[in-house]
Amino acid sequence: MSPTVSSSKNPINEFFEWFGDLGIFFWQVMRAAVTPPFEFRELFRQLDEIGSKSLPLVAAAGAAIGVVLSLETRHSLIRFGAKSMLPTAIVFSVVHEMGPIVTGLIVSGRVGAGIGAELASMKVTEQIDAIEASAVNPYRLLAATRILACILMLPLLTLTADFCALMMGWVSQALAEPISLYKFINDGFRGANFNDLLPPTLKTAMFGLIIGLIACFQGMRTRGGAGGVGRAAMNSVVLSSLFVILGNVVLVKLIIIFFP
Amino acid sequence: MSRAARLGAFIVATLAILAAGVFIVGSKRYLFSSTYQLKTQFKDVAGLAVGDDVRVGGVHSGTVRDIALPHRPGETITVAMDLGKSTHEIVKRDSVASIETEGMVGSQYLALSFGSSGSADVRDGDSIASQPPLEMAALFKKASDILDSSQQSAQYATQATANIASISAKIDGGQGTVGALVNDKQLYNNLEQTTSALHDTMLHAQEGVTDFQENMEAMKHNFLLRGFFKNRGYEDSAELAKNEIERLPQGTPMKEFTYPAKQLFDKHDTAELKNQKSLNAGGGFLANNQFGIAVVVASAGMEGDTQKDLVLTEARSMVVREYLVETFEFDDSQLKTLGMGKQTGAALDAGWGTVRILIYPAGTEIPPNKQAQVGTSSKATSNQPLQAPVSTTPKPLR
Repeated sequence: MSPTVSSSKNPINEFFEWFGDLGIFFWQVMRAAVTPPFEFRELFRQLDEIGSKSLPLVAAAGAAIGVVLSLETRHSLIRFGAKSMLPTAIVFSVVHEMGPIVTGLIVSGRVGAGIGAELASMKVTEQIDAIEASAVNPYRLLAATRILACILMLPLLTLTADFCALMMGWVSQALAEPISLYKFINDGFRGANFNDLLPPTLKTAMFGLIIGLIACFQGMRTRGGAGGVGRAAMNSVVLSSLFVILGNVVLVKLIIIFFP
Repeated sequence: MSRAARLGAFIVATLAILAAGVFIVGSKRYLFSSTYQLKTQFKDVAGLAVGDDVRVGGVHSGTVRDIALPHRPGETITVAMDLGKSTHEIVKRDSVASIETEGMVGSQYLALSFGSSGSADVRDGDSIASQPPLEMAALFKKASDILDSSQQSAQYATQATANIASISAKIDGGQGTVGALVNDKQLYNNLEQTTSALHDTMLHAQEGVTDFQENMEAMKHNFLLRGFFKNRGYEDSAELAKNEIERLPQGTPMKEFTYPAKQLFDKHDTAELKNQKSLNAGGGFLANNQFGIAVVVASAGMEGDTQKDLVLTEARSMVVREYLVETFEFDDSQLKTLGMGKQTGAALDAGWGTVRILIYPAGTEIPPNKQAQVGTSSKATSNQPLQAPVSTTPKPLR
């Protein structure tokens, strides 16, 4: 727990230092995570904290996305005379992109802020030092469990978001023009294969890694008092959201290459 | 709800969603149902991809499993497909595979036709025949060809229009015969003058005819010729048949006056009246009684030329009628004439013939006039077999 002492205040130096510290942090977490003893109790607590408790938020966001997509896409497709493509358009945009990215952003907001603030306050109140002093690896206990919980929970949350979005997309579509759920799903998944479903969902595990890693990193490198905690929380949210979006660009490209 | 239960419920729920998604997609891919594989060969698959639909009779029944390029040039591409077991009854060895496009911009799919009922069943891994795909590019080329040919037709039409325009310009410019006709005012004037001259000529001709008629009339009354007409008994042979009917009316006459021609006429071959006073009995009856129709019937004896006798009898009946109409007051439209020509009969008098006035009661049907055949009794006779009384049967002279 000794971030590199910056020798200068040069912003370019700071930028590279940040990445270097992140890499060291990641390495330490990885090393701590794969070696016993495993902190299962803490992992379950974090799974619940990050997964179950995010569920309502993610479900609501997904439902809203479904309605909006249905309304907007319907309008556009009618212009092109391709109204019958509406279920397909909704299913594909939700499953491919909207579900994963919305889940990633929602979780990075809620969980990133939570982890960042929690760890930062532990850091400034020297609780982390106390944990370390009691011969418990804080990377294993605090960081690894949270990061792993994020990695595991994000795909599941994405599935929830997808489900809610498709249901509300169907409801919204059925209100405008009656269509059975069976036909909606059947039309929507016409021509779909597993490459349409699994890679976009599993890529959110990568989002989970980004969110957990950055939030923990920002929390555990906090300095200063209450102001430092606030900065840490804000930076966690901002940077994890940013990296989720930037990471998504790379991930989408990789998926297109490897899962055509 | 405990933390563990909450977490468990969340995980189970989301995994259920995942399972549902996997099964929905999997059922589209025929991954979880019993399938069999068929192969077909194409020279060109027109963009067909692995995972595209296979449709049997338009129904989505399978998936393209594999598309394998040939190992050597000149060989064909092998397309392998998984088909649902339910299609096994209809896809036969003679089914034909073709690559179709869904709409103008839709994705490709492999279409299989139904096999014939007599054909053998397919087995897993069999190959079936194929039909080369109709690519959009080929379609566009065809459309382009059609456009080219229609462009050519349009050019021909343009040429034709230009020709017509050139022709009408020439006409308008006064070139050629039609142009002269259309444009030459002189020609039109000439034509108009000719027409008007023709009109004048016609008027003159008419005047000439009128003058001629008057001259003829004058000649008839000229002392040199007057005798001829006087002896004949009438002047205008055109009026012989003016009031002549073609046959006697049906029914019996209510009154009949019979005069021997010898008593009435000057000579046996003329129609000049001699003793017209003797007609007064008949005339008086006509003037004093109501009747339907009266007919002056003249007949000649058996002497002389048949044709001349027919004209003579027509003339005699006309002359008698004229006398009666001029002398007595009655409706002259009810008095008709009928020349019978040669006639055998009781009342003949030394070949002179007779004149009878037959008076029929009101309501008697009036036979049609002979007027149409003015002065051409012979023709009328030959055309009207109904006018039977004119008998040409030779009879022994008495």
